[in-house]
Amino acid sequence: MKQLSAIIPGAVNTYCPGCEHGLLLKLIAMALEELGITEKAVMVGSVGCSTLAFKFLNIDYVQAPHGRAPAVMTGIKEVEPDSIVFAVQGDGDALSIGLQELFYAANRGIPVSIFMYNNMVFGMTGGQMAPTTPEGMVTMTTPYGRDTAKSGPPIYSCEMLSGLSKPSYIRRVIIAPKPIQLKDRVMYSSREANQSYKAIISAFKTQMKGGFSYVEFLGTCNVNWKMSILDSKKYAHNVSAKVYQPALFRDKFGVDFIES
Amino acid sequence: MGWLQVKRLLMGAEAIAEAAINSGLEAYFGYPITPSSEIMENLAVLYASHRSDRFRVYFQSASEVESINLLMGAGAAGHITMTATSGPGLSLMAEGISYAYTSEIPLVIINVNRGGPGLGNVAPEQSDYLFVTKSLGHGGSKPIVLAPSSIKEAMGQVRMAFELSFKYRIPVIILTDAIIIHMLESVDLDQLTPVSVDANWSARGRNGGARHLINSIYLEPAEFSKIKAGLEEKWKTIEPLGECFMCNDAETLFVAYGISARIAMEAASNMRENNIMAGVFRPITLNPFPGKMLVDAAKNSRRIIVVEMNEGQMVLDVQYWLRRDVELIPFNGGIYPSTEEVIERCK
Ligand SMILES: Cc1ncc(C[n+]2csc(CCOP(=O)(O)OP(=O)(O)O)c2C)c(N)n1
Ligand code: SF4
Repeated sequence: MKQLSAIIPGAVNTYCPGCEHGLLLKLIAMALEELGITEKAVMVGSVGCSTLAFKFLNIDYVQAPHGRAPAVMTGIKEVEPDSIVFAVQGDGDALSIGLQELFYAANRGIPVSIFMYNNMVFGMTGGQMAPTTPEGMVTMTTPYGRDTAKSGPPIYSCEMLSGLSKPSYIRRVIIAPKPIQLKDRVMYSSREANQSYKAIISAFKTQMKGGFSYVEFLGTCNVNWKMSILDSKKYAHNVSAKVYQPALFRDKFGVDFIES
Repeated sequence: MGWLQVKRLLMGAEAIAEAAINSGLEAYFGYPITPSSEIMENLAVLYASHRSDRFRVYFQSASEVESINLLMGAGAAGHITMTATSGPGLSLMAEGISYAYTSEIPLVIINVNRGGPGLGNVAPEQSDYLFVTKSLGHGGSKPIVLAPSSIKEAMGQVRMAFELSFKYRIPVIILTDAIIIHMLESVDLDQLTPVSVDANWSARGRNGGARHLINSIYLEPAEFSKIKAGLEEKWKTIEPLGECFMCNDAETLFVAYGISARIAMEAASNMRENNIMAGVFRPITLNPFPGKMLVDAAKNSRRIIVVEMNEGQMVLDVQYWLRRDVELIPFNGGIYPSTEEVIERCK
């Protein structure tokens, strides 16, 4: 396979086996290449499992504090409007500590692309409750399941951002490949990766047209969900995608090309 | 052009805004807080009236947490960027300053010290001294700290801060207070020229070259230890600055910075009229602290008196450097020293 210029030659991604964080970075690298924008790309690192992206992607990189990537991205984009600025944020990073920064970047319509990896837990710190943890889900800080009577219901970020007028592209996709049970073995569908790729392309195209883009990717964290890889993929399809339905929420420039 | 056209009577906040524009400010982000807001308001007018082609970005942030991160982005992309705030806002910026320190991002913060701790009041104090000089950010980050004692000097320090922030790729704080911000002084606007910066390390996209990493995470202890040693080496090359005012034959030496130094200088002059040989040593960079200059200035002095607007903060540095008894004349709560009171209190 052709070496992608946006990936450090020989780099291996250091994510847990079965995690889609690595797949997401690879798809981003492919999209940068396809659109010919690798040379102009600046990634802003958030804090979470995506922090290690700089060891994999061979592009300019600025590390933001936990939750603040949208503000750092705004700072870069404002002074360097020709650059292509993006971040991969976890659901804790984007929706817990960093909700205000995300909200304001979106409300101002800053032309940047945010790729939010929703695994419904804090992955990097060992599986605590996230703002997206569904009712009843067991995590390290909700050992008897999330009690939404106390913690409030999960936060639906695409729906929330859709309440703002400025964002140009808002989409939710599932990136966890769907297990297909064959007679003697399990295969995984490539449809999810394909759709995720298309969503990334659309997000970058939106940025190139001057709009704010946000894509939520439903991914797994088998390690902290304490499941086998196979079960985590099933859970993503049977639970995550039911709680958070994949959909196109906003597409001002008509760039989306995911078949429904 | 005659001098009439360039000499103008300006309020501190206005002068600082003008100085920032003339020195090449490119991006300003800020969140209002008294007594710093006038700087931001003046810049809003200068921005809207297109006073400078270089001043391309200005907006009001959603919080000081957002401000510092906006600055980090603009600084990481190699542009001159600044904000102004006051104590509570600076507390919120501490995390970002720490990241910027290790990531070596140039940025400038004007901190107009108000009364604290807590919400305190909006009157002048110097109570952020230890915070800004000893631990502004977790993990031991050390921004450069400058302290002006006049409007003219504040203007020069804005330019100096831009220069230093890029020369050392480090956050720079200008520590001032409501007196300087609200005082009127006649100043020369033409003396400042835009700072030109080298940004070939910055993150703007590879653009055909090698990629640039602006990073503060080093998971390997050996690697991080080396990085920190490099930051220390760099820190040691930063030149401390101080000023001696009639120090040579001073039997009574005041040590004071910022507005307190100005009052101490007046007190020293008055005392000399009554044959008390007084002088003042004034640190200009609070970090790095001009300790060796202070030792030299204090050689012949019998009494060392620190005048500061807090419960006694810089006095710790003065004691550390001089290793002898040091007297303290503190003012706090927003009460600031009058010349007479300073003279009275050292009797
Ligand atoms: C100010 C601050 N608070 C807390 C942390 C610890 N921390 C690091 S990552 C993280 C949560 C990460 O979860 P998420 O954003 O969902 O990303 P994931 O690792 O699941 O991809 C936390 C709480 C931190 N680094 N900084
Ligand atoms: S902890 Fe979870 S989210 Fe992080 S790399 Fe491992 S599986 Fe992925």
